[in-house]
Amino acid sequence: MSQLEQFILDKQKSLSTISNPVLAMTHVVYGYPSVSKSIEWMEDLLTAGVELLEVQFPFSDPVADGPTIVNACHHALTSKITIEDCLTHLARLSSAFPNSKILFMSYLNPIFKFGIERFVQQASQANISGIIIPDLAIENAQEYQAACLNNKVEPIWLVTPNTPSGRLKMLTQQATGFIYCVSRTGVTGGEQQSSFSKLQNYLQEIQSYTNTPLAVGFGIKSKDQIDAISEHICVAIIGSALLQKYDELGPGQALIYVKKLFPHLA
Amino acid sequence: MKSNNGYYGQYGGSYIPEILYTSQQQILSAFEEAKNDPDFLQELHKQWKQFSGRPTPLTHCENLSRHLGGAQIYLKREDLNHSGAHKMNNVIGQGLLVKRMGKTRVIAETGAGQHGIATALVAARLGLECTIYMGKKDIARQYPNVFWMKQLGATVVSVNTGSQTLKDALDEALRDWSSSHETSHYLIGTACGCAPFPEMVSYFQSVIGKEVREQSQAQFDALPDKLYACVGGGSNAIGLFDNFIPDDKVEMIGVEAAGKGTSMGEHSIRLSNGLGSKGIAQGFSSIFLQDESGQLQDTHSIAAGLDYVGVSPIIAHLAETNRIRMTYATDDEVLQACSLLLTKEGIIPALESSHALAAAFRESKQLSNKTNIVINLSGRGDKDIFNVAKAFQDEEFVPFIQEYAEGFYQDSSLNLHKD
Repeated sequence: MSQLEQFILDKQKSLSTISNPVLAMTHVVYGYPSVSKSIEWMEDLLTAGVELLEVQFPFSDPVADGPTIVNACHHALTSKITIEDCLTHLARLSSAFPNSKILFMSYLNPIFKFGIERFVQQASQANISGIIIPDLAIENAQEYQAACLNNKVEPIWLVTPNTPSGRLKMLTQQATGFIYCVSRTGVTGGEQQSSFSKLQNYLQEIQSYTNTPLAVGFGIKSKDQIDAISEHICVAIIGSALLQKYDELGPGQALIYVKKLFPHLA
Repeated sequence: MKSNNGYYGQYGGSYIPEILYTSQQQILSAFEEAKNDPDFLQELHKQWKQFSGRPTPLTHCENLSRHLGGAQIYLKREDLNHSGAHKMNNVIGQGLLVKRMGKTRVIAETGAGQHGIATALVAARLGLECTIYMGKKDIARQYPNVFWMKQLGATVVSVNTGSQTLKDALDEALRDWSSSHETSHYLIGTACGCAPFPEMVSYFQSVIGKEVREQSQAQFDALPDKLYACVGGGSNAIGLFDNFIPDDKVEMIGVEAAGKGTSMGEHSIRLSNGLGSKGIAQGFSSIFLQDESGQLQDTHSIAAGLDYVGVSPIIAHLAETNRIRMTYATDDEVLQACSLLLTKEGIIPALESSHALAAAFRESKQLSNKTNIVINLSGRGDKDIFNVAKAFQDEEFVPFIQEYAEGFYQDSSLNLHKD
């Protein structure tokens, strides 16, 4: 079992007084609204005790993201930002907050340009636990998978409600760390939600193929949504909804929002 | 050009979010079945002929050939397609495929608006819902096309993110497709995107080169010595070139937009002078204009249809293997070439196609009068009236627009009010 998976299971066990505890995975865009402010925001979240921090390194053409995250990425790119600096900052955070794990998310091109193997190596040195690349399908990922294996970083695979069963089985069986279950069709954020029964059937199907922990993301914004599926999942991912709170109300209120969604952090 | 499992050398492939996997697989198999189905091909040829007016002529430009004093210049008249550009060849093909797949809506991106118009025309004819994504800057440059798209019943969405041009429209179309793939088809307009789009678009566009082969033999009893085409995404170029790839003696020249200069942001030269580099974005691997961190960069051309940040993986591969020679033309050269064609031959070329004209005119002077060159006149220039008038600084144009604008709401007897 990978370190990341062990970490998730241990954390869940430590919350055994709660029935079906769901861990927090909060998303932050590196460099938004500025590099220093984004680091401060990450520190706030880690201080609050979020178990997993997903850091998105901006790309000019983020096709899997909705308007909230797209705007943040484009804003961040108006300043010069680099993967090297980002990893340096994350290395510092990971040693300052050993009770949480950091995941790196970006699109393929910035990573490809940096060099896939070199990137995975340096990510590992920065103590990154997992990497999410939404536009890299497993079929194109041999070099990346080998680099992850050699450097003990988990490549996190996404599955979706319309992934055919055969492929779902293949993906879940190769997955390590956790499985990123996209809750519905479409891009990140927005109002659209999957019907509860559809989502439940989908999560049940994934569980029938694997014991790897499940994380659910895309469109998650309320505690009710999380409670409804808490028996199937280990982790809930809060991305656009959190960024929206941060934009509208500032980091203080956004943090209160996180604690509402995940009462064990309060 | 047939791909090797979606790849052309090191370019191509499928780099799309997982959510699109099923729809992409559906297109792959639908396209494979359709191109082997005689009924589909019969319908395709019928629509090409009866709706778009194919075959388009190959026009010998005798005045211009004499004026430049070099090669015999022929134009492949894709401007005479219904909609005024080669875009129609592909849209008719994919439109029929959409019906075959049982989908009810199409999404498209557009730069100059030619692909948007063609898509809106075919959607109207086939009874499909239609949404067109277009960069805010492109809408400002090409409003007449937007107007017609709307009249045809399409929804035109202004894309205000990023550089507000074609690449951003493409991102937005992909996002729409991610949430609507069950009922919608992404009708991509150029030979880019994930597999099988480059192969499929080049398949539908290759009718251009097939006709040129027959027409050359009929009109000058030989294959052309040289072929010229402008290269934005690359669909009109691969459409002309595809059929001639095995004919080593036929030289193929692709012409990119050099815009105002070679600094980043001033041009759209991806394949010459080492200005572009390998990248993976918008669903495929190819040569892109990007910085050292892999962020895609702004582009410029006087022709909205050429300022794309990437290029077809097929063209990137053929350029890398030296089957295509790449060159470029500046905004100024393009306007001169446009003007020359207007006055010598009585043909109004699109600014996109005028890039191919500019490079061909420049080179033809050095060629013998026994050499036959074919230039793909991919589109007509009516849409460019505002930009060309501005570039030529036509004195009467602004008063005309002012007067027209003043009278716009006054003569209500001509207004067509819709409920």
